[in-house]
Amino acid sequence: MTGDPDIPPFFEVRELRQTLGGQEVLRGVSLNVPRGKTTVILGGSGAGKSVLLRHLNGLMKPLSGTVTVLGTDLGPLSEKALRPIRRRIGVLFQEGALFDSMSVGENVAFPLWEHGLRDRAAIAARVDEVLTHVGLQGHESKRPEALSGGMRKRVSLARALASGPECLLYDEPTAGLDPILSENITRLIDRLQTELHLTSVMVTHHLGAMRWVADQVIFLKDGSVRFSGTPEDLARSEDPAIREFLNADAMAGR
Amino acid sequence: MMDAIRSALSHLGQLALLAVESIFSLLTTGPRIRSACFQIVAIGIGSQLVVIITGAFTGAVFAAQAYYKFSELGLGSATGPVVSIAMCRELGPVLSALMVAGRMGAAMAAEIGTMRVTQQIDALRAFGVDPVDYLVVPRLLAIFISMPILVAEAIWFGMMAAQYLTVQVFGVPAPWFEGQLLAHTRDSDVLSGLIKGTIFGLLIVLISCHRGLHASDGAVGVGRATTRAVVDSSLAILVVNFFLSVLFNHWLPTSAIDL
Repeated sequence: MTGDPDIPPFFEVRELRQTLGGQEVLRGVSLNVPRGKTTVILGGSGAGKSVLLRHLNGLMKPLSGTVTVLGTDLGPLSEKALRPIRRRIGVLFQEGALFDSMSVGENVAFPLWEHGLRDRAAIAARVDEVLTHVGLQGHESKRPEALSGGMRKRVSLARALASGPECLLYDEPTAGLDPILSENITRLIDRLQTELHLTSVMVTHHLGAMRWVADQVIFLKDGSVRFSGTPEDLARSEDPAIREFLNADAMAGR
Repeated sequence: MMDAIRSALSHLGQLALLAVESIFSLLTTGPRIRSACFQIVAIGIGSQLVVIITGAFTGAVFAAQAYYKFSELGLGSATGPVVSIAMCRELGPVLSALMVAGRMGAAMAAEIGTMRVTQQIDALRAFGVDPVDYLVVPRLLAIFISMPILVAEAIWFGMMAAQYLTVQVFGVPAPWFEGQLLAHTRDSDVLSGLIKGTIFGLLIVLISCHRGLHASDGAVGVGRATTRAVVDSSLAILVVNFFLSVLFNHWLPTSAIDL
């Protein structure tokens, strides 16, 4: 596994099991997410990727096994006790999950306000700064429903970045976008990574995005880790399930 | 059968937990005044017309029916007290609450349900914001403030409509009507209506928010949550009303009829 052995990992997942609707979705997943690196969780639909991601900030509780963030086990923590940890972790949700009762600016300001910042000028400055970061300066007053899919994702990314988290979780950041937009958002994620040195975890089935940003790749199949290593190692893997996944992607022309 | 009972009990348990969580959150975190004000506008001001029309026409129709029967016995002036007691104790709070359930219960379940299925609730939690603090408590607070006023309006407009009909149309002298109405309407009658209305309002918010927070399966799920919110709230109002009526007839008894 990549990462400096002297620096403790940001996330440590051990023997994580979860069921949804009586079906076993995660069957004993163990992985480390090193600090300051980008880990991509790859796998087909229904492999349990998104469910795994939801455990990392405590949105779901493990059925068994542990999820540790910077040495703290999330399992026994109440919603209230999870708050300080969640504030260090930004999330980009699959559909953006923008609050549709608020404008773009209010959406981005939301985490700042909730984390106790009350200085309106400072909030406005920070909103402008992160919107500029994602190339959407001047769109503060727009309503989320007036935005295209790609713009919604970028606003959501700006909102996740607003309070300066140490870690970002991306749930299928390129899903539902055309190839150009999906490349744009991948470039943006890569640029943020280089500039901000965040710890990132990206769930995707998009190999192009993975190759671009990943320091470490985890391949999930039927709820267990099938592969863990660098993107180069993945490309050389002889595992039939991984070959099938890689070949299907090559056939799709990506 | 056992499954149905079990699921009903678990549902009631979840509602009770939501109530406890809301009270706890109100005491520890304090209310979000701004959100509560928005909700007062939506629930309180938005429901004015509906509640006024409901109150007025209920009062009028009740007055008409009562007058037709009472006048045969030469008791036309008893229409006032009968309408007043009925409006204060039963019809005002129950019908206003049913209208608010249809209007606001549906809106709350649909809004919160949509937030749920589009991951906005998850986003709240991911930002360290408790959905109960943010969505449920302001609505409870808003309905706690709005509902007694709405019920009072329904009662008042019901009585006014009854007076107009009895005095102007049926020709009962105004002093008789007013005198009898005032003589037989006690503070306890009005108070029992206002308390009932407030309790119904809190039930509507708890039931509808709970349905919304537990919505699943996309648009179909939101539709289902909305329907159930209205049906459950309406049934809860009617059932709880019966028990409150029994209780209030002991605690806040109405005056003895003395015509």
